[in-house]
Amino acid sequence: MIALAVLHFFHWADDTPVAAAIRGSTWVFAFIEVFHLLGLTLLLGTVVLVDLRLCGYGLRRQSLAQVASDALPWMLVGMAVTMGSGSLLFVSEAMKCYGSPPFFVKMGFLFTALVFTFTLHRKLTKRDAPPPPVWGKVAAGLSLFLWFGVGLAGRAIAFY
Amino acid sequence: MWTFPIIETIHILALALSVGMIIMLDLRLIGAGMRHASAGQIMGQLKKWYVIGFGAMIASGVLLFWSEAAKCYRSNSFRIKLLLLLLVALNAVFFEIVYKPRMEQWEAGQSPPAGAKLCGWCSMILWIGVIGFGRWTAYGMK
Repeated sequence: MIALAVLHFFHWADDTPVAAAIRGSTWVFAFIEVFHLLGLTLLLGTVVLVDLRLCGYGLRRQSLAQVASDALPWMLVGMAVTMGSGSLLFVSEAMKCYGSPPFFVKMGFLFTALVFTFTLHRKLTKRDAPPPPVWGKVAAGLSLFLWFGVGLAGRAIAFY
Repeated sequence: MWTFPIIETIHILALALSVGMIIMLDLRLIGAGMRHASAGQIMGQLKKWYVIGFGAMIASGVLLFWSEAAKCYRSNSFRIKLLLLLLVALNAVFFEIVYKPRMEQWEAGQSPPAGAKLCGWCSMILWIGVIGFGRWTAYGMK
């Protein structure tokens, strides 16, 4: 039942006029991919910045809460650009994604990364009192693992 | 067979530690965020990290180039990418010579001088170009 709904969704995405328009041009896909990479640079850059600070590296003269609040707006911009362009890339080859195991792995990583970032990770980084070093390192490691997992699995879509 | 995609993935994900960090510095220079740190503090504290990032970037980039040098030789996108990288380097050297010695005097809440702001804008725009033409090179487009 759910599997059928998922298949319908992928078919629907593949059939949208936007998808057809992107498929119809050789350079539009590449152009959207450039935005996907620019968004990724900003998103992963800000994630690394905050996670380094969580481990006690990088911007050490600023407090964790200061680094996190400075990085947040640009992390959101990075997310918006990456996810906006990513949605367009997805619809243009939805049926290819349906047959690609890395795509589902990527979505799993993405969902987990988003939930983790906006709940536990955010809670830990916005407090004035820094978390115990061990928990900081665990949270930073998990955050980097999840976000770079999204990137790795995303890259693999092109090969499977 | 797997070597090329793996090196390519390293080349893309190292963007976070190299260009990602530089863009945070550029954003501070142009006054668009990172308000709690001065530009000098950001540069000083992140230098070690973006040096590692650019090391990974250059090493993986040279290997990718090596594996398809003939294709790159004919690619206009690749030529433009190299030209933009040269301009990035000139911009960085100019900043290092003219503004770096004075950076410590800019306080955290203060805005850097106009010339330094311009360097920040140039750096950001040039890096966007490098990433764009890099992707274009990978597609083998003219």
